[in-house]
Amino acid sequence: MIPTAWFLILSAMLFAIGVCGVLTRKNGITIFMSIELMVNAVNLTFLAYAREFHQLHGLIFVLFIMAIAAAEAAVGLAIFINLFHHRETIDVDEANLMHW
Amino acid sequence: MAIDATDIALSLLKIAIVLGVMLQVTPIMAWVERRGSALIQDRPGPNRVGPFGLIQSFADALKFIFKEDIIPAGAHKWLYTLAPAMGLIPALTTIAVVPWGRPFRIPETIEYNGLVATVGWATAGFLLLLAFVVGAATGRLSHKPGVSRLNIVIGWLVTGSLAGLAFAIGGILIYLRSRYIVEVPAAGGRLFEPIVADVDIGILLIFALASLGVYGIVSAGWASNNKYSLFGGIRASAQMISYELSLTLAAISALLVAGSLRLSDVVWGQTGYFVLFDTIKLPAWNIVSPAMWISFIVFSVSAFAETNRLPFDFAEAEAELVAGYHTEYSSMKFALFFMAEYMSMFTMSCVVTTLFLGGWDVPYYNEPPTFIGFFFSALAFLAKAGFLMFVFVWVRWTIPRLKYDILMRVGWKVFLPLALVNIVLVALFIAKGWI
Amino acid sequence: MIEFAVFFFFAAVAVIFALVVVLHRNPVVGALSLVASFFALAVMYVLLDAPFLAALQVIVYAGAIMVLFLFVIMLLNLQYQREEPTRPIQQFLGYFGSAAFGVSLVYYISKYAVIASGPKTRFVTSAKTIGIRLFEAYILPFEMVSILLLAAIVGALVLTSKAAGKQVTE
Repeated sequence: MIPTAWFLILSAMLFAIGVCGVLTRKNGITIFMSIELMVNAVNLTFLAYAREFHQLHGLIFVLFIMAIAAAEAAVGLAIFINLFHHRETIDVDEANLMHW
Repeated sequence: MAIDATDIALSLLKIAIVLGVMLQVTPIMAWVERRGSALIQDRPGPNRVGPFGLIQSFADALKFIFKEDIIPAGAHKWLYTLAPAMGLIPALTTIAVVPWGRPFRIPETIEYNGLVATVGWATAGFLLLLAFVVGAATGRLSHKPGVSRLNIVIGWLVTGSLAGLAFAIGGILIYLRSRYIVEVPAAGGRLFEPIVADVDIGILLIFALASLGVYGIVSAGWASNNKYSLFGGIRASAQMISYELSLTLAAISALLVAGSLRLSDVVWGQTGYFVLFDTIKLPAWNIVSPAMWISFIVFSVSAFAETNRLPFDFAEAEAELVAGYHTEYSSMKFALFFMAEYMSMFTMSCVVTTLFLGGWDVPYYNEPPTFIGFFFSALAFLAKAGFLMFVFVWVRWTIPRLKYDILMRVGWKVFLPLALVNIVLVALFIAKGWI
Repeated sequence: MIEFAVFFFFAAVAVIFALVVVLHRNPVVGALSLVASFFALAVMYVLLDAPFLAALQVIVYAGAIMVLFLFVIMLLNLQYQREEPTRPIQQFLGYFGSAAFGVSLVYYISKYAVIASGPKTRFVTSAKTIGIRLFEAYILPFEMVSILLLAAIVGALVLTSKAAGKQVTE
């Protein structure tokens, strides 16, 4: 049986890598992918604790998180497409006007 | 439950059998496709290489190996090379959860009877002689323009050596005519379940690996640095992910009846009989019950869309996009795409037989849990899957290709609601006890 | 024994491909590496006695969401977008800050985690138990998530339709 702490460490590493991606990159799609990575790291934490305490709540929560992340990805990419159509670039530094 | 070396050995044997069958699907289907299409189009089809053109697939394989392997300039080298592998992996691995025979108990001892061997050898010899006579009568041994003598000689040599090998084995069996009892080492008495991985979530693995099949096409289309390939790849992947929904929902109807996600449970549920009006006994296959007809049609059509076969072959679209996503692929990489398509066709046929046609169940025969029962059940499974493969070929050369927007509209607005309606219908039938 | 080998291998795969996502300049390569990372995470879920969620992870994340990402990247030809280098102070702070965050998180978890070993018995889950729980205790979130998905579909359609919003031709 693999200790739960190992899964938590893996989740922490993935989360930190996701944070690095969000803070460092300027390509909007890459930032979005790093956000998905962070969400998955959190999923892993939920499942690790669910197995540890033999609770089914963790699994149900992960199910809902997956559904919500799918919805968020669809809407987020629609927003990016709009940004691209207006600015011809996906660089998030260029999205610096409140209204165009 | 401890896993020991015998379990591992049996698993490896199962994997070897399944992999062996999957690797033979492509050459056999290439022959069936070409002769079948020729039959439908009223022309002879390949009949030069070997009797009835049976060696044609091996000649094609040799051609693929010797062709030049091109990587176009401007293509993304890594993805271009990886894309055929990404297409092949889901096609090869999905078959792991499909049950292909009745589980049987491996006997502790095997009794060897010389009489059986003699009769078997005589029958095999007679059949081989018959095959040779028919081949010689229909094939042409004389030289004629366009066919090299070497071709004919190679064809007959291959068949002749196979026949000779079979004869030799038969002769050895005949020689050892004494009757003795062999003990099966270590595996005797164990239950042999002819399914490589009988997991609790069987059908979900099929959906998961089917959704991974999109990446091979999308990567091939993008990495080729060719706008026709890109269009073919994008259109094909949009079609595949749209029809995955109706595929999944149609399969749920069959799973509702079985009450479990395991495919072996689905097949065991279909081994009984429906008794109509207390007289007519029908095998309890899912397709016999009227609640499943809609989902059978939806699932079959979605299977065509998932495997990119006509009338949904926008990935290839021979008349429109040059060759779609595999335009820039040559030799072995193209052969891998080719193989991946036929293998996923075979896997889909196997899944359709498991969910709707009763899997390995032989109708009106109560298979005993012995090797003979397993053998007939495996034959029945192969026969059903083989018939569905022929239907794939038949439909390809009969029905024209739909327009792309009509295809997407049908997928979302017709099949998805139909599949949902069917789930409600099946639930109603189960509640009333008619299934 | 086999479990540990599988865990280490797939943990390494997940971390390495996550690094490729974050550091590689081509978003297509990044998207495909993210698919590989999600697949490795699905194996982790199987190790955590949740095979149902592992299959769902592959179907939903690797099979649908990432395909959506790839569509957007390929149709908008985003692989040719040049990323100008950010101001060096910001870049350094970003890398250093996230590295410090990651290292300190891992350190504190390994030092102070009360849960050092796994559970004593196997946690048996199946689709049936999850389904029962979903329709009994969690029926309200279930219905709300379905409404949320409907809102997402309508939102995505509205955002990308030609009738709403101004387009580049202006």
